[in-house]
Amino acid sequence: MRDEEKQALSTSEWRVARPPERSRVNEPHPLAPQPSAAQLDAASQAREALRAAMVRLADGDSAALEEIYSATRVKLFGICFRILGDRKEAEDALQDVYVNLWQRADRYDPQRASPISWLATFARNRAIDRLRTGKVRSGAVAVEEAAPLPDEAPLADALMVDAERDAQIDICLKGLDDNAQTYIRAAFFEGRTYAQLAEGADVPLGTMKSWIRRGLMKLRACLEASEAA
Amino acid sequence: MSEGDNIERDDAMIAAEYALGLLEGEELLTARGKAASDANFAARKEWWDAWFSPWTDEMPGAEPGDHVWQAIAARVDAAPDPATQAGVNAANVVLIDMERRVRRWQWTAGITSAAAALALALFITAPGATPVTENTPPLAVAQPPLMASIPIGDTLRLGVTFLPGSDEMLVSAAGLSADGVHDHELWLVPADGSALQSLGVVVPGEERRVALPVEVAQNMDDGVQLVLTREPLGGKPEGVDAGPVVAQGAFGQV
Repeated sequence: MRDEEKQALSTSEWRVARPPERSRVNEPHPLAPQPSAAQLDAASQAREALRAAMVRLADGDSAALEEIYSATRVKLFGICFRILGDRKEAEDALQDVYVNLWQRADRYDPQRASPISWLATFARNRAIDRLRTGKVRSGAVAVEEAAPLPDEAPLADALMVDAERDAQIDICLKGLDDNAQTYIRAAFFEGRTYAQLAEGADVPLGTMKSWIRRGLMKLRACLEASEAA
Repeated sequence: MSEGDNIERDDAMIAAEYALGLLEGEELLTARGKAASDANFAARKEWWDAWFSPWTDEMPGAEPGDHVWQAIAARVDAAPDPATQAGVNAANVVLIDMERRVRRWQWTAGITSAAAALALALFITAPGATPVTENTPPLAVAQPPLMASIPIGDTLRLGVTFLPGSDEMLVSAAGLSADGVHDHELWLVPADGSALQSLGVVVPGEERRVALPVEVAQNMDDGVQLVLTREPLGGKPEGVDAGPVVAQGAFGQV
Protein backbone atom coordinates (compact mmCIF):
# COMPACT_ATOMS: atom_id res chain seq x y z
CA MET A 1 0.00 0.00 0.00
CA ARG A 2 1.26 3.44 -0.79
CA ASP A 3 1.93 5.72 2.14
CA GLU A 4 -0.75 8.26 1.33
CA GLU A 5 -3.35 5.49 1.14
CA LYS A 6 -2.25 4.15 4.48
CA GLN A 7 -2.64 7.63 5.90
CA ALA A 8 -6.09 8.03 4.43
CA LEU A 9 -7.28 4.69 5.71
CA SER A 10 -5.99 5.16 9.21
CA THR A 11 -7.81 8.44 9.59
CA SER A 12 -11.12 7.25 8.23
CA GLU A 13 -13.62 5.13 10.04
CA TRP A 14 -12.18 2.15 8.20
CA ARG A 15 -9.61 0.22 10.04
CA VAL A 16 -7.02 -1.60 8.06
CA ALA A 17 -6.89 -5.30 8.75
CA ARG A 18 -4.82 -6.11 11.77
CA PRO A 19 -1.90 -8.26 10.76
CA PRO A 20 -3.08 -11.75 11.73
CA GLU A 21 0.43 -12.67 12.79
CA ARG A 22 0.64 -9.88 15.33
CA SER A 23 2.19 -11.25 18.48
CA ARG A 24 -0.20 -9.68 20.95
CA VAL A 25 -1.16 -12.40 23.39
CA ASN A 26 -4.89 -12.61 23.83
CA GLU A 27 -6.84 -14.95 25.97
CA PRO A 28 -6.05 -18.32 24.43
CA HIS A 29 -8.76 -20.36 22.83
CA PRO A 30 -9.96 -22.67 25.58
CA LEU A 31 -9.60 -25.71 23.36
CA ALA A 32 -6.27 -24.81 21.88
CA PRO A 33 -2.99 -25.90 23.40
CA GLN A 34 -0.55 -23.05 23.74
CA PRO A 35 2.32 -23.53 21.32
CA SER A 36 5.76 -23.60 22.80
CA ALA A 37 8.25 -20.82 22.16
CA ALA A 38 10.20 -23.14 19.88
CA GLN A 39 7.10 -23.93 17.85
CA LEU A 40 6.31 -20.25 17.50
CA ASP A 41 9.83 -19.59 16.39
CA ALA A 42 9.74 -22.33 13.77
CA ALA A 43 6.37 -21.10 12.58
CA SER A 44 7.52 -17.53 12.21
CA GLN A 45 10.66 -18.64 10.38
CA ALA A 46 8.57 -20.69 7.97
CA ARG A 47 6.30 -17.70 7.50
CA GLU A 48 9.21 -15.41 6.71
CA ALA A 49 10.62 -17.96 4.25
CA LEU A 50 7.23 -18.08 2.56
CA ARG A 51 6.96 -14.31 2.48
CA ALA A 52 10.42 -14.09 0.88
CA ALA A 53 9.47 -16.71 -1.72
CA MET A 54 6.33 -14.74 -2.56
CA VAL A 55 8.39 -11.60 -3.08
CA ARG A 56 10.84 -13.49 -5.31
CA LEU A 57 7.95 -14.85 -7.33
CA ALA A 58 6.58 -11.35 -7.83
CA ASP A 59 10.05 -10.37 -9.10
CA GLY A 60 9.76 -13.01 -11.79
CA ASP A 61 11.66 -15.90 -10.18
CA SER A 62 9.51 -18.83 -11.23
CA ALA A 63 11.65 -21.24 -9.16
CA ALA A 64 10.07 -19.68 -6.09
CA LEU A 65 6.77 -21.20 -7.13
CA GLU A 66 7.95 -24.72 -6.35
CA GLU A 67 9.07 -23.64 -2.91
CA ILE A 68 5.68 -22.04 -2.25
CA TYR A 69 3.91 -25.13 -3.56
CA SER A 70 5.91 -27.45 -1.29
CA ALA A 71 5.17 -25.35 1.75
CA THR A 72 1.48 -24.71 1.17
CA ARG A 73 -0.06 -27.40 -1.06
CA VAL A 74 -1.40 -29.50 1.82
CA LYS A 75 -3.25 -26.61 3.40
CA LEU A 76 -4.51 -25.11 0.14
CA PHE A 77 -5.62 -28.47 -1.22
CA GLY A 78 -7.46 -29.08 2.04
CA ILE A 79 -9.31 -25.79 1.55
CA CYS A 80 -10.20 -26.50 -2.08
CA PHE A 81 -11.39 -29.98 -1.18
CA ARG A 82 -13.46 -28.69 1.74
CA ILE A 83 -15.24 -26.17 -0.47
CA LEU A 84 -15.63 -28.29 -3.59
CA GLY A 85 -16.24 -31.68 -1.98
CA ASP A 86 -14.65 -33.50 -4.90
CA ARG A 87 -11.05 -34.57 -5.22
CA LYS A 88 -10.74 -34.09 -8.97
CA GLU A 89 -12.37 -30.65 -8.87
CA ALA A 90 -10.19 -29.68 -5.94
CA GLU A 91 -7.04 -30.71 -7.80
CA ASP A 92 -8.07 -28.66 -10.82
CA ALA A 93 -8.79 -25.72 -8.55
CA LEU A 94 -5.42 -26.13 -6.86
CA GLN A 95 -3.68 -26.06 -10.22
CA ASP A 96 -5.52 -22.83 -11.06
CA VAL A 97 -4.52 -21.33 -7.74
CA TYR A 98 -0.78 -21.76 -8.32
CA VAL A 99 -0.76 -20.90 -12.01
CA ASN A 100 -2.77 -17.80 -11.21
CA LEU A 101 -0.44 -16.98 -8.37
CA TRP A 102 2.51 -17.21 -10.71
CA GLN A 103 0.86 -15.04 -13.35
CA ARG A 104 -0.14 -12.36 -10.89
CA ALA A 105 2.20 -12.69 -7.93
CA ASP A 106 2.41 -8.90 -7.74
CA ARG A 107 -1.06 -8.81 -6.21
CA TYR A 108 0.38 -9.96 -2.91
CA ASP A 109 1.58 -7.10 -0.74
CA PRO A 110 4.08 -8.44 1.81
CA GLN A 111 3.58 -5.36 3.99
CA ARG A 112 -0.05 -6.02 4.36
CA ALA A 113 -0.95 -9.59 5.04
CA SER A 114 0.59 -12.77 6.34
CA PRO A 115 1.43 -14.91 3.30
CA ILE A 116 -0.40 -18.01 4.51
CA SER A 117 -3.50 -16.01 5.40
CA TRP A 118 -3.45 -14.37 1.98
CA LEU A 119 -2.89 -17.67 0.16
CA ALA A 120 -5.63 -19.41 2.16
CA THR A 121 -8.08 -16.64 1.27
CA PHE A 122 -6.94 -16.74 -2.36
CA ALA A 123 -7.45 -20.51 -2.58
CA ARG A 124 -10.87 -20.35 -0.96
CA ASN A 125 -11.94 -17.58 -3.33
CA ARG A 126 -10.79 -19.54 -6.38
CA ALA A 127 -12.64 -22.62 -5.15
CA ILE A 128 -15.79 -20.57 -4.62
CA ASP A 129 -15.47 -19.01 -8.07
CA ARG A 130 -15.41 -22.55 -9.39
CA LEU A 131 -18.50 -23.45 -7.42
CA ARG A 132 -20.33 -20.45 -8.85
CA THR A 133 -19.60 -21.42 -12.44
CA GLY A 134 -22.23 -24.10 -11.89
CA LYS A 135 -20.08 -26.92 -13.17
CA VAL A 136 -19.53 -28.56 -9.82
CA ARG A 137 -22.53 -30.62 -8.83
CA SER A 138 -23.66 -29.51 -5.44
CA GLY A 139 -20.65 -27.97 -3.86
CA ALA A 140 -19.27 -28.78 -0.50
CA VAL A 141 -20.51 -31.54 1.68
CA ALA A 142 -21.91 -30.48 5.02
CA VAL A 143 -19.49 -30.48 7.93
CA GLU A 144 -20.92 -33.58 9.55
CA GLU A 145 -20.94 -35.52 6.27
CA ALA A 146 -17.43 -34.68 5.23
CA ALA A 147 -15.56 -37.93 5.11
CA PRO A 148 -11.87 -37.55 5.87
CA LEU A 149 -9.55 -38.14 2.99
CA PRO A 150 -7.46 -41.28 3.29
CA ASP A 151 -4.33 -39.18 3.05
CA GLU A 152 -5.60 -36.41 5.28
CA ALA A 153 -2.70 -34.67 6.90
CA PRO A 154 -2.62 -32.67 10.10
CA LEU A 155 -1.40 -29.17 9.47
CA ALA A 156 2.02 -28.27 10.74
CA ASP A 157 2.12 -25.17 12.90
CA ALA A 158 3.94 -23.37 10.14
CA LEU A 159 0.89 -23.73 7.94
CA MET A 160 -1.56 -22.34 10.42
CA VAL A 161 -2.95 -18.93 9.66
CA ASP A 162 -3.56 -18.43 13.31
CA ALA A 163 -0.32 -19.80 14.69
CA GLU A 164 -0.69 -17.78 17.85
CA ARG A 165 -4.18 -19.06 18.55
CA ASP A 166 -5.48 -15.55 18.62
CA ALA A 167 -9.03 -16.82 18.48
CA GLN A 168 -10.81 -13.49 18.76
CA ILE A 169 -13.11 -14.35 15.86
CA ASP A 170 -14.37 -17.39 17.79
CA ILE A 171 -14.84 -15.40 20.99
CA CYS A 172 -16.87 -12.82 19.09
CA LEU A 173 -18.83 -15.47 17.19
CA LYS A 174 -19.95 -17.05 20.45
CA GLY A 175 -21.68 -13.78 21.32
CA LEU A 176 -24.09 -14.20 18.39
CA ASP A 177 -27.44 -15.96 18.24
CA ASP A 178 -27.20 -19.67 17.48
CA ASN A 179 -28.56 -19.32 13.96
CA ALA A 180 -26.10 -16.59 13.11
CA GLN A 181 -23.20 -18.66 14.46
CA THR A 182 -24.26 -21.73 12.52
CA TYR A 183 -24.88 -20.10 9.17
CA ILE A 184 -21.98 -17.66 9.13
CA ARG A 185 -19.70 -20.62 9.67
CA ALA A 186 -21.59 -22.69 7.11
CA ALA A 187 -21.13 -19.92 4.55
CA PHE A 188 -17.41 -19.91 5.19
CA PHE A 189 -16.85 -23.66 5.34
CA GLU A 190 -19.25 -24.75 2.62
CA GLY A 191 -19.12 -21.77 0.27
CA ARG A 192 -22.90 -21.52 0.21
CA THR A 193 -24.92 -18.51 -0.92
CA TYR A 194 -27.83 -17.01 1.02
CA ALA A 195 -30.25 -18.85 -1.24
CA GLN A 196 -28.52 -22.20 -0.73
CA LEU A 197 -28.35 -21.73 3.02
CA ALA A 198 -32.03 -20.80 3.18
CA GLU A 199 -32.97 -23.82 1.11
CA GLY A 200 -30.84 -26.13 3.24
CA ALA A 201 -32.36 -24.77 6.45
CA ASP A 202 -35.85 -24.74 4.92
CA VAL A 203 -36.49 -21.14 5.89
CA PRO A 204 -37.48 -18.14 3.73
CA LEU A 205 -34.56 -16.31 2.12
CA GLY A 206 -35.42 -13.17 4.08
CA THR A 207 -35.14 -15.03 7.35
CA MET A 208 -31.69 -16.37 6.50
CA LYS A 209 -30.52 -12.92 5.40
CA SER A 210 -31.86 -11.45 8.60
CA TRP A 211 -30.08 -14.02 10.81
CA ILE A 212 -26.77 -13.58 9.07
CA ARG A 213 -26.90 -9.80 8.70
CA ARG A 214 -27.79 -9.24 12.34
CA GLY A 215 -24.95 -11.58 13.22
CA LEU A 216 -22.48 -9.78 10.96
CA MET A 217 -23.35 -6.40 12.49
CA LYS A 218 -22.69 -7.76 15.95
CA LEU A 219 -19.57 -9.58 14.84
CA ARG A 220 -18.14 -6.43 13.33
CA ALA A 221 -18.78 -4.44 16.50
CA CYS A 222 -17.14 -7.10 18.65
CA LEU A 223 -14.07 -7.42 16.37
CA GLU A 224 -13.63 -3.66 16.21
CA ALA A 225 -13.90 -3.40 19.98
CA SER A 226 -11.19 -6.06 20.30
CA GLU A 227 -8.91 -4.05 18.00
CA ALA A 228 -9.48 -0.87 19.98
CA ALA A 229 -8.72 -2.64 23.26
CA MET B 1 -39.64 -6.32 1.17
CA SER B 2 -38.41 -9.34 3.00
CA GLU B 3 -37.37 -9.41 6.62
CA GLY B 4 -33.66 -9.57 5.85
CA ASP B 5 -33.84 -6.48 3.69
CA ASN B 6 -34.93 -4.30 6.60
CA ILE B 7 -31.48 -4.35 8.10
CA GLU B 8 -29.30 -1.47 7.09
CA ARG B 9 -26.76 -2.87 4.70
CA ASP B 10 -23.74 -0.62 4.61
CA ASP B 11 -20.49 -1.24 2.78
CA ALA B 12 -18.96 -3.05 5.75
CA MET B 13 -21.83 -5.52 5.69
CA ILE B 14 -21.63 -6.04 1.93
CA ALA B 15 -17.87 -6.54 2.23
CA ALA B 16 -18.52 -9.27 4.82
CA GLU B 17 -21.10 -10.94 2.60
CA TYR B 18 -18.68 -10.76 -0.28
CA ALA B 19 -15.80 -12.15 1.80
CA LEU B 20 -17.93 -15.07 3.00
CA GLY B 21 -19.15 -15.82 -0.52
CA LEU B 22 -22.85 -15.30 0.23
CA LEU B 23 -23.55 -13.13 -2.79
CA GLU B 24 -24.53 -14.17 -6.27
CA GLY B 25 -25.91 -12.63 -9.45
CA GLU B 26 -25.94 -8.89 -9.77
CA GLU B 27 -25.07 -8.33 -6.10
CA LEU B 28 -21.88 -10.31 -6.57
CA LEU B 29 -21.00 -8.33 -9.67
CA THR B 30 -21.60 -5.05 -7.90
CA ALA B 31 -19.42 -6.11 -4.98
CA ARG B 32 -16.66 -7.20 -7.35
CA GLY B 33 -16.80 -3.94 -9.22
CA LYS B 34 -16.65 -2.02 -5.97
CA ALA B 35 -13.70 -4.02 -4.68
CA ALA B 36 -11.84 -3.12 -7.86
CA SER B 37 -12.64 0.56 -7.76
CA ASP B 38 -13.16 1.58 -4.14
CA ALA B 39 -10.09 1.37 -1.89
CA ASN B 40 -12.13 1.64 1.29
CA PHE B 41 -14.38 -1.20 0.27
CA ALA B 42 -11.39 -3.32 -0.76
CA ALA B 43 -9.70 -2.63 2.58
CA ARG B 44 -12.83 -3.59 4.45
CA LYS B 45 -13.06 -6.83 2.49
CA GLU B 46 -9.44 -7.59 3.38
CA TRP B 47 -10.24 -6.77 6.98
CA TRP B 48 -12.93 -9.44 7.02
CA ASP B 49 -10.70 -11.88 5.13
CA ALA B 50 -8.00 -11.47 7.75
CA TRP B 51 -10.48 -12.21 10.52
CA PHE B 52 -12.11 -15.17 8.79
CA SER B 53 -8.96 -16.81 7.41
CA PRO B 54 -7.96 -18.50 10.72
CA TRP B 55 -11.03 -20.67 10.19
CA THR B 56 -9.18 -22.35 7.33
CA ASP B 57 -7.00 -23.90 10.05
CA GLU B 58 -10.01 -26.06 10.94
CA MET B 59 -10.12 -27.48 7.43
CA PRO B 60 -8.00 -30.64 7.45
CA GLY B 61 -5.03 -30.55 5.11
CA ALA B 62 -4.78 -33.09 2.33
CA GLU B 63 -2.09 -34.22 -0.07
CA PRO B 64 -2.87 -33.58 -3.75
CA GLY B 65 -1.73 -36.05 -6.39
CA ASP B 66 1.75 -35.62 -7.91
CA HIS B 67 0.24 -34.83 -11.29
CA VAL B 68 -0.97 -31.46 -9.96
CA TRP B 69 2.53 -30.06 -9.62
CA GLN B 70 3.54 -31.60 -12.95
CA ALA B 71 0.66 -29.78 -14.62
CA ILE B 72 1.53 -26.50 -12.92
CA ALA B 73 5.20 -26.81 -13.85
CA ALA B 74 4.32 -27.63 -17.45
CA ARG B 75 2.16 -24.53 -17.72
CA VAL B 76 4.78 -22.32 -16.15
CA ASP B 77 7.61 -23.76 -18.25
CA ALA B 78 5.63 -23.14 -21.41
CA ALA B 79 6.29 -19.44 -20.95
CA PRO B 80 10.00 -18.77 -20.49
CA ASP B 81 10.98 -15.64 -18.70
CA PRO B 82 12.50 -13.12 -21.12
CA ALA B 83 14.71 -11.69 -18.40
CA THR B 84 16.75 -14.90 -18.37
CA GLN B 85 17.74 -14.58 -22.01
CA ALA B 86 21.16 -13.02 -22.18
CA GLY B 87 22.57 -10.75 -24.83
CA VAL B 88 19.39 -9.25 -26.16
CA ASN B 89 18.92 -5.58 -26.71
CA ALA B 90 16.03 -3.62 -25.29
CA ALA B 91 13.95 -3.74 -28.46
CA ASN B 92 14.32 -7.48 -28.70
CA VAL B 93 13.27 -7.85 -25.11
CA VAL B 94 10.07 -6.04 -25.96
CA LEU B 95 9.47 -8.39 -28.86
CA ILE B 96 10.32 -11.52 -26.89
CA ASP B 97 8.12 -10.31 -24.11
CA MET B 98 5.23 -9.88 -26.53
CA GLU B 99 5.74 -13.34 -27.96
CA ARG B 100 5.83 -14.69 -24.46
CA ARG B 101 2.63 -12.92 -23.60
CA VAL B 102 0.95 -14.33 -26.68
CA ARG B 103 2.14 -17.80 -25.74
CA ARG B 104 1.07 -17.31 -22.19
CA TRP B 105 -2.33 -16.24 -23.31
CA GLN B 106 -2.55 -19.19 -25.66
CA TRP B 107 -1.84 -21.74 -23.01
CA THR B 108 -3.99 -19.93 -20.52
CA ALA B 109 -6.79 -19.90 -23.04
CA GLY B 110 -6.07 -23.34 -24.32
CA ILE B 111 -7.62 -22.54 -27.64
CA THR B 112 -6.48 -21.90 -31.16
CA SER B 113 -9.32 -19.66 -32.12
CA ALA B 114 -9.26 -16.95 -34.70
CA ALA B 115 -8.77 -14.61 -31.80
CA ALA B 116 -5.34 -16.06 -31.10
CA ALA B 117 -4.52 -16.14 -34.78
CA LEU B 118 -5.53 -12.51 -35.03
CA ALA B 119 -3.24 -11.55 -32.20
CA LEU B 120 -0.31 -13.46 -33.61
CA ALA B 121 -0.86 -11.98 -37.04
CA LEU B 122 -0.86 -8.54 -35.52
CA PHE B 123 2.43 -9.10 -33.79
CA ILE B 124 4.13 -10.86 -36.61
CA THR B 125 3.11 -8.47 -39.35
CA ALA B 126 3.50 -5.31 -37.33
CA PRO B 127 5.91 -2.97 -39.16
CA GLY B 128 9.30 -3.13 -37.54
CA ALA B 129 8.68 -6.40 -35.84
CA THR B 130 11.30 -8.17 -37.91
CA PRO B 131 13.92 -7.00 -37.47
CA VAL B 132 13.43 -4.57 -34.63
CA THR B 133 15.61 -1.55 -34.66
CA GLU B 134 15.59 1.34 -32.31
CA ASN B 135 14.18 3.57 -35.03
CA THR B 136 11.15 1.44 -35.69
CA PRO B 137 9.37 0.69 -32.45
CA PRO B 138 6.94 -2.17 -32.90
CA LEU B 139 3.51 -0.83 -33.66
CA ALA B 140 1.88 -3.51 -31.58
CA VAL B 141 3.44 -2.15 -28.41
CA ALA B 142 1.28 0.92 -28.63
CA GLN B 143 -1.94 -0.93 -29.31
CA PRO B 144 -1.86 -4.49 -28.03
CA PRO B 145 -5.18 -6.24 -28.40
CA LEU B 146 -7.09 -6.96 -25.25
CA MET B 147 -8.15 -10.49 -24.77
CA ALA B 148 -10.21 -12.34 -22.26
CA SER B 149 -10.53 -16.05 -22.00
CA ILE B 150 -13.53 -17.01 -19.94
CA PRO B 151 -13.49 -20.61 -18.80
CA ILE B 152 -16.81 -22.36 -18.94
CA GLY B 153 -16.65 -25.57 -17.02
CA ASP B 154 -13.44 -27.51 -17.47
CA THR B 155 -12.89 -27.60 -21.15
CA LEU B 156 -14.74 -24.79 -22.87
CA ARG B 157 -13.60 -21.22 -23.23
CA LEU B 158 -15.29 -18.12 -24.42
CA GLY B 159 -12.76 -15.92 -26.18
CA VAL B 160 -13.21 -12.16 -26.37
CA THR B 161 -10.84 -9.95 -28.33
CA PHE B 162 -10.93 -6.19 -28.55
CA LEU B 163 -8.60 -3.89 -30.43
CA PRO B 164 -8.20 -0.67 -28.46
CA GLY B 165 -9.42 2.26 -30.48
CA SER B 166 -11.84 0.19 -32.48
CA ASP B 167 -15.56 -0.04 -31.97
CA GLU B 168 -16.08 -3.73 -32.25
CA MET B 169 -14.99 -6.91 -30.58
CA LEU B 170 -14.72 -10.52 -31.56
CA VAL B 171 -16.56 -13.07 -29.45
CA SER B 172 -15.67 -16.68 -30.06
CA ALA B 173 -18.10 -19.20 -28.65
CA ALA B 174 -16.90 -22.13 -30.72
CA GLY B 175 -17.60 -25.41 -28.97
CA LEU B 176 -20.50 -24.04 -26.97
CA SER B 177 -23.92 -25.44 -27.66
CA ALA B 178 -27.34 -24.05 -26.90
CA ASP B 179 -29.58 -25.81 -24.39
CA GLY B 180 -32.73 -24.40 -25.96
CA VAL B 181 -33.92 -22.98 -22.65
CA HIS B 182 -31.34 -20.37 -21.77
CA ASP B 183 -29.19 -17.79 -23.41
CA HIS B 184 -25.96 -16.46 -21.99
CA GLU B 185 -25.31 -12.77 -21.84
CA LEU B 186 -21.89 -11.22 -21.60
CA TRP B 187 -21.34 -8.18 -19.38
CA LEU B 188 -18.57 -5.71 -18.85
CA VAL B 189 -17.92 -4.70 -15.24
CA PRO B 190 -16.73 -1.09 -15.49
CA ALA B 191 -13.64 -0.44 -13.37
CA ASP B 192 -15.26 2.63 -11.82
CA GLY B 193 -17.94 0.53 -10.17
CA SER B 194 -20.74 1.91 -12.30
CA ALA B 195 -23.55 -0.26 -13.64
CA LEU B 196 -22.73 -3.30 -15.72
CA GLN B 197 -22.84 -2.88 -19.45
CA SER B 198 -24.24 -5.60 -21.66
CA LEU B 199 -21.97 -6.88 -24.40
CA GLY B 200 -24.81 -8.85 -25.84
CA VAL B 201 -26.08 -12.39 -25.90
CA VAL B 202 -23.50 -14.99 -26.84
CA VAL B 203 -24.27 -17.02 -29.93
CA PRO B 204 -23.23 -20.61 -29.17
CA GLY B 205 -20.92 -22.30 -31.64
CA GLU B 206 -20.15 -19.13 -33.54
CA GLU B 207 -17.55 -16.50 -33.81
CA ARG B 208 -19.09 -13.08 -34.11
CA ARG B 209 -18.06 -9.52 -34.53
CA VAL B 210 -20.04 -7.36 -32.15
CA ALA B 211 -20.31 -3.60 -32.62
CA LEU B 212 -19.89 -1.61 -29.43
CA PRO B 213 -21.43 1.71 -28.51
CA VAL B 214 -18.87 4.38 -27.57
CA GLU B 215 -19.88 4.36 -23.91
CA VAL B 216 -19.08 0.66 -23.77
CA ALA B 217 -15.92 0.75 -25.88
CA GLN B 218 -14.37 3.42 -23.67
CA ASN B 219 -14.59 1.07 -20.69
CA MET B 220 -12.77 -1.77 -22.42
CA ASP B 221 -9.39 -1.77 -20.74
CA ASP B 222 -6.66 -4.02 -19.42
CA GLY B 223 -7.82 -5.84 -16.32
CA VAL B 224 -11.48 -5.02 -16.77
CA GLN B 225 -13.72 -7.87 -15.72
CA LEU B 226 -16.22 -9.68 -17.88
CA VAL B 227 -18.93 -11.94 -16.59
CA LEU B 228 -21.33 -14.30 -18.25
CA THR B 229 -24.83 -14.71 -16.84
CA ARG B 230 -27.50 -17.27 -17.56
CA GLU B 231 -30.66 -15.61 -18.84
CA PRO B 232 -33.95 -16.51 -20.43
CA LEU B 233 -33.82 -16.89 -24.21
CA GLY B 234 -33.16 -13.51 -25.76
CA GLY B 235 -31.14 -12.16 -22.86
CA LYS B 236 -31.92 -10.35 -19.63
CA PRO B 237 -35.46 -9.00 -19.74
CA GLU B 238 -35.90 -5.30 -19.04
CA GLY B 239 -36.53 -4.46 -15.39
CA VAL B 240 -35.44 -7.71 -13.77
CA ASP B 241 -32.16 -8.66 -12.13
CA ALA B 242 -29.54 -10.40 -14.18
CA GLY B 243 -29.39 -14.17 -13.84
CA PRO B 244 -26.69 -16.13 -12.03
CA VAL B 245 -23.08 -15.59 -13.00
CA VAL B 246 -21.90 -18.75 -14.67
CA ALA B 247 -18.43 -17.71 -15.75
CA GLN B 248 -16.07 -14.80 -15.57
CA GLY B 249 -12.78 -13.51 -16.84
CA ALA B 250 -10.81 -10.33 -17.31
CA PHE B 251 -9.19 -8.54 -20.20
CA GLY B 252 -5.46 -8.87 -20.38
CA GLN B 253 -2.94 -7.55 -22.86
CA VAL B 254 -1.19 -10.27 -24.74
